[in-house]
Amino acid sequence: MRRSVRIQIVTGLLLGGLLPAFVANQASGQSKAPEPLKLRVGDDAPDFTLQYFDGSDRKDVHLSDYRGKKNVVLAFYIFAFTGG
Amino acid sequence: MKNFQQNLQKLEAADTQVLGVSMDSPFANKAFADQIGVTFPLLSDWGGEVTRQYGLYVDKYKAARRVNFLIGKDGKILEEQIDSEAIDPTKIVTACERHKLKN
Repeated sequence: MRRSVRIQIVTGLLLGGLLPAFVANQASGQSKAPEPLKLRVGDDAPDFTLQYFDGSDRKDVHLSDYRGKKNVVLAFYIFAFTGG
Repeated sequence: MKNFQQNLQKLEAADTQVLGVSMDSPFANKAFADQIGVTFPLLSDWGGEVTRQYGLYVDKYKAARRVNFLIGKDGKILEEQIDSEAIDPTKIVTACERHKLKN
């Protein structure tokens, strides 16, 4: 009798405490949040001057060119000729 | 970058300019743009100064992290998509359309 109570307690702990913790741990492992950036939502985006080649000339682009005119999507990618 | 090209009309309709940035040379980026059919500028951060300024330089790869920023007309960051989240730009496209409705 006492032994079965102990088994019930152990089973209860497993199901009630450890198992959900384990499942939660597994789940968070799958959707691990990326390391946050230095720049956060609400911060000013630092101005820059960068160039691109339009086929005949190099053109300068300043982020400030768009101030008050357009939103800008700035998409940093790792290397040319790769996916994403 | 292809994913932004596919959404370019929606983004332009929401007053949004798309700019790609990498540490490749301007000529490599142009060749890349032509190959994948991208019509928006792919900017060259040769040397990585801007990548570092934005805190995205990864020493291990000698390149930038894969990150999208949506920057509002006031110059403030409205949305961020980081690393693997940045592959699908839906969140940014939706945010642009939402901000357009607000304006």
